[in-house]
Amino acid sequence: MSVNVITNNEFKDMIRMGSHRLGQNAKFVNSLNVFPVPDGDTGTNMNLTFQSGYQSVNESTSTHVGELAQSLSKGLLMGARGNSGVITSQIFRGFGKNIESKETLTAQELAAALVAGVQTAYKAVMKPVEGTILTVARGASEAAANVAKSSDDITQVMLAAVNGARKALATTPDLLPVLKEVGVVDSGGQGLVFIYEGFFEALGGNLEASEYQPDETEMDEMLNAVHHQAVQNQFSNDDIQNGFCTEMMVTLGVNATSNDTFNYDDFRNYLDGIGDSLLVVADDEVVKVHVHTQHPQKVFTYGRRYGELAKIKIDNMRIQHETIVEDQPVKEQPQIDYGIIAVASGTGLEKLFQSLGVTTIISGGQTMNPSTKDIVTAIEQSNAKRVLILPNNGNIIMAAKQAGQVVDIPTAIIPSKSIAQGMTALLSFDMNADLEQNEANMTDALSTVKSGQITTAVRDTEIGNLKINKDDLIGLVDGDIVVSGQDLLQVSQEMVAKMVDEDSEIVTILIGADGSQEMAENISQNIVTAFPDLETEIHNGDQPIYPYLISVE
Amino acid sequence: MAVSIQTKYGNVDISNEVIATIVGCAATDIYGIVGMASKNQLRDGFNTILKRENFAKGVVVRQTESGTIVDVYIIVGYGVKISEVCRNVQSKVKYNLETLLGAPTAHVNVYVQGVKILEED
Repeated sequence: MSVNVITNNEFKDMIRMGSHRLGQNAKFVNSLNVFPVPDGDTGTNMNLTFQSGYQSVNESTSTHVGELAQSLSKGLLMGARGNSGVITSQIFRGFGKNIESKETLTAQELAAALVAGVQTAYKAVMKPVEGTILTVARGASEAAANVAKSSDDITQVMLAAVNGARKALATTPDLLPVLKEVGVVDSGGQGLVFIYEGFFEALGGNLEASEYQPDETEMDEMLNAVHHQAVQNQFSNDDIQNGFCTEMMVTLGVNATSNDTFNYDDFRNYLDGIGDSLLVVADDEVVKVHVHTQHPQKVFTYGRRYGELAKIKIDNMRIQHETIVEDQPVKEQPQIDYGIIAVASGTGLEKLFQSLGVTTIISGGQTMNPSTKDIVTAIEQSNAKRVLILPNNGNIIMAAKQAGQVVDIPTAIIPSKSIAQGMTALLSFDMNADLEQNEANMTDALSTVKSGQITTAVRDTEIGNLKINKDDLIGLVDGDIVVSGQDLLQVSQEMVAKMVDEDSEIVTILIGADGSQEMAENISQNIVTAFPDLETEIHNGDQPIYPYLISVE
Repeated sequence: MAVSIQTKYGNVDISNEVIATIVGCAATDIYGIVGMASKNQLRDGFNTILKRENFAKGVVVRQTESGTIVDVYIIVGYGVKISEVCRNVQSKVKYNLETLLGAPTAHVNVYVQGVKILEED
């Protein structure tokens, strides 16, 4: 079927179908949204923009295509939302201006109008960013103009525009690196493709079945994939702060719990205060909200003030993404009197610390220091009235102190520089004492223990009188290398000799991931033989890097 | 110094000029903005469109306890929905400052200093 002239009926149909097709796929367009700000609302914004344009056309009684295009242009301008919405309104502003005086359109006039729209759209920006909806609009107009040179069939011209738009859309990832990174095409450009496809369908064109159209499930999958990505990114630089993806739809004025009149900005500002990734769409009857928050109940309670909750949904994003990102599961703990947070790594050490009363373990140590943020999160999630922190590493004390200053919960840092110090400090903990008293007692206890570590030298070096070859065993006491050698028993014995004094009573050996029970027993035996006054204890610490941690107290 | 970030290796100070440039580049990326304008129109000439190296003249940066506050002075093209363009500027500026600086941005105030009438309108 060929169409040689567009009258008011065809024009209205085109706008209706364009709006319809875009609306159907708005969710998909949202899922592509990474530029200029990845907030996942391009589809929603474009859809609202174009619907406003459609409504304006639909309400017009004019039979003059030029006048209808003016209505479209005005409706789009009034309803423009988001960057893509503004650009769309400009494209059709130029389009409308070009055909202002035309009562009907020919194929050539349609193509010329598409070209004019692109020209207008490019003018209203300081530096046009290629790889966006602008690129797609230009691709469509050029292809349409080309075909219009040799064909009077408007369907053919519109088909060329659709194909030109699709082709340009496919190039957007090459033009805009951020798209390539995420592996999507430009969201606004995709939105425009949907609009043009709708135009083409309205002209009686049939979109070939073979061509790609995402179906509902696929769209959901893509949506999730993008969602994952966003959340995963948050994980890497920042823990998720707002763990619940919360959505609601409020039917305004129905059984509202308050008499307040709905005000979009106030509403949005309130939600902005308790969450992020906020999306609020409102008309006179309903408000739709999407927000990531830590307090879904607050969102719903607030929504109820203005009307009935028509639809609600909460997803726990932490649980959703636990499988992707290795992270300690976060669960609400019952309120406790004292939270004791210790930094350690190795399942054995974790168990040991837990058996000594530690409530939260932050994984970390010599090679991976937890950040201030990690510690703050641990403090906040401990749900304790007061918190003691055992950094167990000299490099983490500062971070812990900073964390202690940021949080609202009273927090004391025990400056433990080693696992052994941490354990000893715990022995002085008194549940009934206040925070200051515990801090003082536990800090005092630190000096009663000497911490020895045995590990392997990673390079040749000379420290004091010690000449150390790569792969030699070295013994460190409180961080200083004091002995080296090749025989484990000898090194451990010499190391312990530097640690004992007349008050020493107990030697504790923690077996690391690279150590063995048998060897630990040998070391123990050897020490007892050399120092008959000492008692030894052996625990499985499972710590990385240090096959044996030996402490004397 | 406008933004000061403490790390365990020392301090990082980011000057207002840097922030102004980031704000300027982010704003001029937004569709509908035809230029940055000077905050001091009388001294710098009425509605002069600033060049990239002068973006600092069109941006005011303040630090408060709740975060950075920036004022952006812009010129928009005629025929765009100005309120929406400004909203886009706000979200883009906030996003860029927070991603590039890692510093929380409390407010982005947009001052539309002029409308440029594009040819043929």
